[in-house]
Amino acid sequence: MDDRSTDSDRGTDGERSILDTLGEDIIRIVTPVSLCMLLVVLLVSSLSSTNDLSSSISSLFLSSQPSSLSSPNLLGSDSTWEEIKSALITAFSFVVVVTLLTFLLVLLVYFRCTNFLRIYMGISSLFVLSFLGGFISLLLISYFKIPIDPFTFAILLFNLSVIGVFAVYMSKFPISMNQGYLVTIGVLTAYWFTMLPEWTTWALLIAMSLYDLAAVLLPIGPLRLLVELAMSRNEEIPALVYEARPVDPQPGDRIRVWRERTDVRIDATENSTNLANVQPVRETRLVVSEEITAPLIETFPQTSDRQLGSEEEEGEGIGLSLSGAIKLGLGDFIFYSVLVGRAAMYDYMTVYACYLAIIAGLGVTLMLLAVYRQALPALPVSIMLGVVFYLLTRVLLEVFVVQCSSNLLMF
Amino acid sequence: MTVAAGLGYVLIALGPALSLFASVIAKKPFLILTLLSSTLFWLISLIILAGAWRSFLPVKSTELWPYSILILTSVGFQEGIRIVFWRLFKKMEDMLNAFADRVSKPRLFLTDKMLLALAGGLGHALAHAVFFCLSLLTPAFGPATFYVDKCSNIPFFLISAIIALGFVIIHTFSMVIAFNGYNEGKRSDQIFVPFAHLIAALITLINLVPGGCNIGLPLLCIMAGTTLYYSWRLVWRRLTEHQTTRSSD
Repeated sequence: MDDRSTDSDRGTDGERSILDTLGEDIIRIVTPVSLCMLLVVLLVSSLSSTNDLSSSISSLFLSSQPSSLSSPNLLGSDSTWEEIKSALITAFSFVVVVTLLTFLLVLLVYFRCTNFLRIYMGISSLFVLSFLGGFISLLLISYFKIPIDPFTFAILLFNLSVIGVFAVYMSKFPISMNQGYLVTIGVLTAYWFTMLPEWTTWALLIAMSLYDLAAVLLPIGPLRLLVELAMSRNEEIPALVYEARPVDPQPGDRIRVWRERTDVRIDATENSTNLANVQPVRETRLVVSEEITAPLIETFPQTSDRQLGSEEEEGEGIGLSLSGAIKLGLGDFIFYSVLVGRAAMYDYMTVYACYLAIIAGLGVTLMLLAVYRQALPALPVSIMLGVVFYLLTRVLLEVFVVQCSSNLLMF
Repeated sequence: MTVAAGLGYVLIALGPALSLFASVIAKKPFLILTLLSSTLFWLISLIILAGAWRSFLPVKSTELWPYSILILTSVGFQEGIRIVFWRLFKKMEDMLNAFADRVSKPRLFLTDKMLLALAGGLGHALAHAVFFCLSLLTPAFGPATFYVDKCSNIPFFLISAIIALGFVIIHTFSMVIAFNGYNEGKRSDQIFVPFAHLIAALITLINLVPGGCNIGLPLLCIMAGTTLYYSWRLVWRRLTEHQTTRSSD
């Protein structure tokens, strides 16, 4: 199979091949996801050694579970079963709460209370940035022994949080600040979630991915209703969404294909004794405009749906780098990072395996989107692949690799 | 031995790979995607191998033969999977060419194909280095170091970093050689790659003998150099041939 005959005549060195620009948009979305995961892994691995504050928070979560775990169990197998039971109950109640709140969101959007939603989400991101950010900064300061006085810290925190809220919600801000603050919010929330006990985290991840699958694909699913509402009204719902490229949404845009997710965070304050005290904090969405095609699928974007970004070259026909940008909801960032952070608490080998699995799942989801051209959930494929790879690595690969490497045998 | 030493070991194992990545692969997004999928593919091959060997591990004996069977089966499996990898690659090339035709851009050049092969090989190398070396380097960032009995004059981390470096070079460039060999149908290239892989893996068997790593490590580096030289000669020959055929049209 001599491939000399298939080489086209290469002109001057300036001629570009398709390899130069293909896949640009996927990389633009993979990079911030990877960065978020890296920061969460670094936080987890450096802060897990300072056990006083974070372990007290963990025990807070444990004591707030509706089960009899407040007294330490002396029988090993019993406590595992108890943990699994409480984890399942926690995950189930979380999913129920998320479903109810998403339906509430659908109602609010139906009655056109978008202003209320905007203000609410502004307050919730302020909360995340200032309280969670302050808490984690305090942990970092105590771990790295950074000399800083309370007043400077308070001023810095206040300023950074307020700018963060503006950066996330006002479209006139530079896009890099917007992206940076979204990644920060994702990192903070994901780190908070990794403080949950182990079985609870895994049960929660699996439950949320199943919920995502059901909510987007079933006809009565709340996210699908939201998608149809937004499409029928042709308007943008306020959300925390990461845009891979600067896009100016204008009122008349025909954005067809949406993927949406709603995320709710459990707010466990000192006074909460059970999980009924939850607060809907933030909604996130994954929105993909129709022009996105994966490079290996032969669907060609329709030129009629091009957005009004005039800086884009209309003649350039390469699939992913058209004017439509990929947008990924912040909840997806958060749950990917939670999975990787939890893998980091075991060993770095699981981190690498889960990272590859999640990126593969993200790629598969994007390609499925290009093929099916309808609203698709972003969580299930990645989380399922991540969990499978975590189990396989922990059970199979680690023993094999340690056996080989400790004898200095490699292949 | 502190963060500096840990970082040093990481850079020993992955330095060339990192510079290859930064200078060649990071410029074209599609190559990054190829790298990631290739790493995933070879990770899956490692997991399958680990699954197949799970019931026989941990090998408690200090005899040579269980380990040699381990090495032989693993290398054989990986070389077999390489052919599967090549077939997937050909399919991807066909899809890319069809896409290029549709958007009326030129089809894949020879250098493009070689770059894709390089990215695939680097993915294999990364999978090896990350899982055999990096994941065990976590204690190296702490305050102490570790020595193995059989090789007590060099820290364990340094040995595994150097072995990983050798294998990074071998894997990256043998993928280039292998793809060229399969494309052209040249027997010598096709035989060279499994052969080199096998010899390199068998060299690490020398490490089982006490004091063997003093011989094993240099031999491995020689093997890596051989692969590098072979791949360089191959690429040079192909590029000059391609140049002359084009200019003679």
